[in-house]
Amino acid sequence: MESSQEPASDPVTIIRARSVAKQFGDFTALEGLDLDVRIGECVGLLGPNGAGKSTFIGCLHGSVLRSGGNLEVFGLDPMSDARRIKERLGVVPQENALDEELTVLENMQIYARFEGVSREESAPRIDELLAHMSLDHKRDATIRMLSGGMKRRLAFVRALLSDPELLILDEPTTGLDPTVRHLLWEKVLSYRAAGKTVLVTTHYMHEAELLCDRIVILNRGALVGAGPPRDLIAEHAPGFVGTFAREDEEKLRGKVGDDALLYQQGWQTCVRAASIERLTQLQAATGTRALQLRPSNLEDVYLKLTGQDLGDNE
Amino acid sequence: MSELAITLRLAWHVVVRNWTVYRKDFLANISPTLADPALMMMALGMGLSPFIGQIHGLSYAQYLAPGMIATTALFTAFFECSYGFYVRMTFESVFKAMLTTPIGVREVVIGEFLWVFIRAALMAMGVGLVLTVMGLMPNPFVLLLIPFIGGLLAVPCGAIGLLAASYVRNINQFQTVYSFLIAPIFYLSGVFFPLGDRPLLEAIVQISPFHHGVRLLQACVWGQWDLGEIAYHIAALLTFAAGLGWWALVSIRKKLIS
Repeated sequence: MESSQEPASDPVTIIRARSVAKQFGDFTALEGLDLDVRIGECVGLLGPNGAGKSTFIGCLHGSVLRSGGNLEVFGLDPMSDARRIKERLGVVPQENALDEELTVLENMQIYARFEGVSREESAPRIDELLAHMSLDHKRDATIRMLSGGMKRRLAFVRALLSDPELLILDEPTTGLDPTVRHLLWEKVLSYRAAGKTVLVTTHYMHEAELLCDRIVILNRGALVGAGPPRDLIAEHAPGFVGTFAREDEEKLRGKVGDDALLYQQGWQTCVRAASIERLTQLQAATGTRALQLRPSNLEDVYLKLTGQDLGDNE
Repeated sequence: MSELAITLRLAWHVVVRNWTVYRKDFLANISPTLADPALMMMALGMGLSPFIGQIHGLSYAQYLAPGMIATTALFTAFFECSYGFYVRMTFESVFKAMLTTPIGVREVVIGEFLWVFIRAALMAMGVGLVLTVMGLMPNPFVLLLIPFIGGLLAVPCGAIGLLAASYVRNINQFQTVYSFLIAPIFYLSGVFFPLGDRPLLEAIVQISPFHHGVRLLQACVWGQWDLGEIAYHIAALLTFAAGLGWWALVSIRKKLIS
């Protein structure tokens, strides 16, 4: 999707993937993925479960050994230089993997040591990050005592201990309530404002659309769409969408015409047209009432590009 | 800093992490490894001793004593590296986060070996002190050697634990490993009876690192300073530690890196 002409040592390109492939036995987890992430960008990696998002993240920090292609992170190959790469990035993994019996502070002290942050440096840094994530009052609580949202925030603190240049978030907000999700995204934005780079996987299309500079959509290990969210929407699903109840389908079908598109989406019948007026006309002409009339969004693009494919959910 | 120095520093942080978790439940963690040998000494050593004649001029309690030090090293290392490592890997997902830091699989495995070396050394010392109080350590200066032998013995035993952790398909299968490997090693390596009149068994147990640790401890505690034999057992232990340790590293890498 990007021009592949930049030299390998290009300091602006933090992640440079070319034809990255991963095979687990007979299963193809990644199939020839090309992707560039440049300094200061927030890139969203979307796709159904099993599309290869976590596999790609594993390839970046050396937990997954790719089967083919070229991959550089900070100009280094994760297959041979994982440690030097990991010194410069922070990861919020899908699972928090905190030590349940230890306190918040003990967990962070252990990870500060892993990251090579000295004791003198780590103490104020831990305090600052805990306060930043509104966890300072839980400093001496054991992980067991924390709510799911608090554990997730603490996983963020842990990823930021070494003040990394690249933050990798694997489904950071899954299962969290909206308040915590907003708090976490606010922190991601403030981290980015400091010139840092973010690669995030998420199933929340709305968040990805608002917060990512660029979106990469994977399906069955292959890239099916990439670009800024607005461009993706303009390219794949421009206009406005009316969602209708299934039983209105027959009425709508006769009146849709060439300037609108009628399609099924799960339990809904959808019509996409260039303007909202075209949709209100259609309602009037068919005597139907849409459940929702709205501008098209990234979810429409996602559903179109990944099709009815349920990925691992099958 | 050289690669080796970085690896050792990171492996040491894994030790500190394990110690921080371990000390939270110190009493529960320390009890079985100290209580088991103490109970064995009471039941078999003190209980049976009066009914058993001398073995090589030693009472049965004296005969049993050095084996108890080896036993604590075996069980400390095996259980920590089998069940303990498996739980950390599978149920607690500890390494999913740890391996995103500069720590790699090599540091994880070397850290486990350092950790069981230190733990087994301390536990061996503890058992040694108990034996001294019971009057079963004729030469108290031997206490200075015991932590090193206990620690050295723990490395191959820990490697067997890590290998088990990398090959079992679920946690129940450790029971099979215990029944068919660890229990025979424990009961048949010369802790409970001398192997001298059973040449076949004695030949077989040469492939058990535990046997070499037992013999080394017996030589020290009983004051049998046959330097040739001692050198042989130390060389065997070092060889097992290096060989099994390497095999464990390769197997654990396959589990943690896909």
